[in-house]
Amino acid sequence: MMSNESDTSLTPQEIARYSRHLIMPEVAMDGQKRLKAAKVLLIGAGGLGSPLGLYLAAAGVGKIGIVDFDVVDYSNLQRQVMHTTNDVGRKKIDSAAEHLSAINPEIEIVRHETRITSDNALGLIEPYDIVIDGTDNFPTRYLTNDACVLLGKPNIYGSIYRFEGQASVFATKGGPCYRCLFAEPPPPGAVPSCAEGGVLGILPGVIGCIQATEAIKLILGKGRPLIARLLLYDAMEMKFREVKIKRNPECPMCGDDPTIKALIDYEQFCGVRGEETGAAQVESSFETTVEDVKARLNRGDDFDILDVRNPEEWAICHIDGAKLIPLGELPMRMHELDKSRDIAVHCKGGVRSAKAVGILREAGFAKVKNVQGGILEWARAIDPSMPTY
Amino acid sequence: MAAIRVSLPTHLKTLSHVDGEIVVEVDGAVTQRTVIDAVESKYPMLCGTIRDHVTKKRRPFIRFYACEEDLSNEDLDAPLPEAVVSGQETYFVIGAMAGG
Repeated sequence: MMSNESDTSLTPQEIARYSRHLIMPEVAMDGQKRLKAAKVLLIGAGGLGSPLGLYLAAAGVGKIGIVDFDVVDYSNLQRQVMHTTNDVGRKKIDSAAEHLSAINPEIEIVRHETRITSDNALGLIEPYDIVIDGTDNFPTRYLTNDACVLLGKPNIYGSIYRFEGQASVFATKGGPCYRCLFAEPPPPGAVPSCAEGGVLGILPGVIGCIQATEAIKLILGKGRPLIARLLLYDAMEMKFREVKIKRNPECPMCGDDPTIKALIDYEQFCGVRGEETGAAQVESSFETTVEDVKARLNRGDDFDILDVRNPEEWAICHIDGAKLIPLGELPMRMHELDKSRDIAVHCKGGVRSAKAVGILREAGFAKVKNVQGGILEWARAIDPSMPTY
Repeated sequence: MAAIRVSLPTHLKTLSHVDGEIVVEVDGAVTQRTVIDAVESKYPMLCGTIRDHVTKKRRPFIRFYACEEDLSNEDLDAPLPEAVVSGQETYFVIGAMAGG
């Protein structure tokens, strides 16, 4: 499974660098050569990818591939410790490669500046021994899982939300895969992303380091990997729990009689959602724009603006005169709204407000409209002085 | 009447406005079905999030655990372990999350 370390040697500089590994019998020269011969693919250079990249590079994993197509944003810096303030606006792949090479110039960093898709996933993963899932969305998680099962590559899984994290090792021979745990993704909007719900900055550090540990154990062939085990971490309680994952003999991917034999359309499988970027979920007659809302305010039109974000988001920025009713409270607080009035509903990016418009329409509010792009679009197009998040 | 400790995934804690574990009271047999019925009765906003509204089947992005064991595909009417009934152990509802 792993790359062959038999013709790998360590230079005197490398022996000095890895000396704390070399004096441990569990690693020693043979183990360090295994690390040097290993090829690991990181999918995502963000929150989980940062500690993964930093520690795997420092540990001397000989070839680290990174798949990412994003650029560094200020909102990344609270947790994506592989990137610095000076990297804002740069490609994450360039920032990552530069910092990992600075930590360890002895290793090879391969930049895959692309979005992993059903068309390129098998080709990207095939040359590597181990894949580490550091992605931030369901379609890519299912794609990564399925590609790893098809290629027989271990998939080291980690995911995070707010104060909780999960980690496991999937797609090993005879072990369960991600679909054995979660057969299908949540419907769009049912489970918030970190962009919507937030995440403790340290959390990906904890989970990413667990993933990195599992990668090194697999490469060394030592210890008991997290196969068929799901590790659950609760930062608020500071508790780690472990539960068993059974391989599902009826799993469509890794079961006894698999029905999925090639990569599928994962956007369609997951109902296409991604980040909260204003994806419209209401018909166009119930949509409006920030420019229209601004024009109506300037004219002094008599209408209401409803903000369905959470109070913590309202405290960061809000439109003067808007009324705050968080989406989760809307069904109980509808009586505070007037059905006879025009209501422009907004959230951060347009997804929650689209849901709110649907709820209000069902309740008989005929004059509600979803503000496309939400307050992010307001800040971009109407009030650039407004802080964004 | 048994007081059952239940742990919900973060997004369902947010939806039901709770922090940490919840406790529900179950009269009679303590099974997965009676516990989830009690959860949905106490927190009606969770109806449809753990089980399908109509079929009452576990949603495929949710799993049930107790005493480290996966009970997701077990008989919903089978008694839960004594450690859960006595409140010594928690009944876990685990949900898929995708953040990274």
